[in-house]
Amino acid sequence: MSGALLSLRNVGWQAPVGADILQHVSLDVAPGEFVAIMGRNGAGKSTLLDIVAGLRAPSEGSVTIDGQPLDAWRLSERARVLAHLPQVLRGDLSIRAEAIVLMGRYPHASRWFESEDDERIAHEAMVRCECLEFRQRALSTLSGGERQRVYLAACLAQQARLLLLDEPATFLDVDQQLQCFSIVRGEADKGAACLAVTHDVNLALTFCTRLLVLAGRGIARDLGAAEALDDPSWLRTFSSRLDLERGPSGSWVRYR
Amino acid sequence: MLMRRRSVARWIGGSALLFALAGCLLPFVGPSTLDWSLVLRRQDPDWSILIDLRLSRTLLGLFAGGALALAGALFQSMLRDALATPYTLGVSTGASLGAVIAIALDWGSVAGVGGIWAGALSGAVTILFVVMGAATRHGQLSSSSLLLAGVAINSVCAALILLVHGLSGISKSFAISHWLIGGLDAVERPTLALYILIVVSMAFLIVHHARHWNLLAVGEAWAATRGAHVRQSLLQGYLAGSGLAAFTVALTGPIGFVGLVVPHLLRRRLGGDDRVLMPCAFLHGGVLLASCDAIGRAILAPAEIPAGAITAFIGGPHLIWVVRRGGTR
Repeated sequence: MSGALLSLRNVGWQAPVGADILQHVSLDVAPGEFVAIMGRNGAGKSTLLDIVAGLRAPSEGSVTIDGQPLDAWRLSERARVLAHLPQVLRGDLSIRAEAIVLMGRYPHASRWFESEDDERIAHEAMVRCECLEFRQRALSTLSGGERQRVYLAACLAQQARLLLLDEPATFLDVDQQLQCFSIVRGEADKGAACLAVTHDVNLALTFCTRLLVLAGRGIARDLGAAEALDDPSWLRTFSSRLDLERGPSGSWVRYR
Repeated sequence: MLMRRRSVARWIGGSALLFALAGCLLPFVGPSTLDWSLVLRRQDPDWSILIDLRLSRTLLGLFAGGALALAGALFQSMLRDALATPYTLGVSTGASLGAVIAIALDWGSVAGVGGIWAGALSGAVTILFVVMGAATRHGQLSSSSLLLAGVAINSVCAALILLVHGLSGISKSFAISHWLIGGLDAVERPTLALYILIVVSMAFLIVHHARHWNLLAVGEAWAATRGAHVRQSLLQGYLAGSGLAAFTVALTGPIGFVGLVVPHLLRRRLGGDDRVLMPCAFLHGGVLLASCDAIGRAILAPAEIPAGAITAFIGGPHLIWVVRRGGTR
């Protein structure tokens, strides 16, 4: 597919102890898409995201960004195109929140300290993630949700065209979860391709344009958001206790 | 508050000034008062006491303290652990073991200080790879197992040092004991010049990569997707930090604590940005060790207290006080 920013062809990954985690995964993601990567624990969601981020080399198959194989990119150039938010990040750092967000500018600047422009971009990212008020505080003094917003702001400050987020709503309160997903949707609407691992089916249905369900070492379902609402059979992958509820103002997933 | 450029310049400039002042003033501290008429006419013995003994010791203290503090700051960032230093990782004890073997085999008389350096370096690098190998599983290196392996290998090295000490003859055994106490002794000018050159170039290399250490302090995945070559940077960092520790340990004997306490105290004041923290840690570490040495040679004159003992006396209680006052931060 020529319009794809990200392409995976026949990607597989084997754990060091020998078990296949992923096999024959092929996937194209175009600019403007916001893809929810879903699946049960151990389905390989984070592994898939790590492979796309270049953190794990696939044991087979190829990953390309802009048609260029992932390992052919210079690291610093790749970091200007691709931003990744890991699932678990440290909290007990004495680094100040604003300095974390400015790390998103490192790939863009060859100079030692960030420019005024970099500071402006970091500032805007913090405003959008509602974490500007604690920009001066050490990361270790922030709550889990506040930290997560700082790290998300750092990813936005990177101004990447491909955003990879591993459970970005972790630790966030309900309002902030909605905020987080609408920020990412905003990035997709501005032309970024976004992939987010999430367990929250309602967040995915509300904000994402496409749902990718991993099961059985591969992609079990690959649906557009509208399709997912028409045919709720994909919910069976997660639990038999989920149902799609249709109402006059929209549809949502409820528990049985 | 993000450190603004002016505040960064003030901190680094102020620290550099302190470093230079220490270099100029500390040589005048000592058990005997200098006779200025002799010094000004460059006449012995006072001129050579000032230049060959006290200035040489002060410079060694400044750069050795800087090297140890910088190595500590570096290991703390790489391992994301406040307790990580070349000592806790076993690297310094490995260097000590290498140096002690070199003394016992009399390499010093064959190759001068180069012999001790060779012993310390090979000891440090060997232990570094042993510790890293012990802590690696499935190609993944975890910092907690690295510290555990470091502690374990530390005690093995300490036992081996005792063994070598016991097996060597009376005169060697005395030299080893003297070296193991740790402290600053005047060294010959060419050695000192070479040492300073090595430390400054390694320090420059480390500080030059400060943005990578910042990224690595958050996490390896974080660093890798922000343009840092993680494995390469870590390997360079481990080698450079161990090298700094080994070259220093070979000249001064084991001096602990500077590497732990200086970065820790500064991190509380400056925040964790290694671009500011690392130069300041180097400069303040140097001032601390050189000052402690000056105190040690003046306070109980004519007896001398080794600099390492003074740093521990001052640094230990101070660190506890700061940690308690800082609360949960």
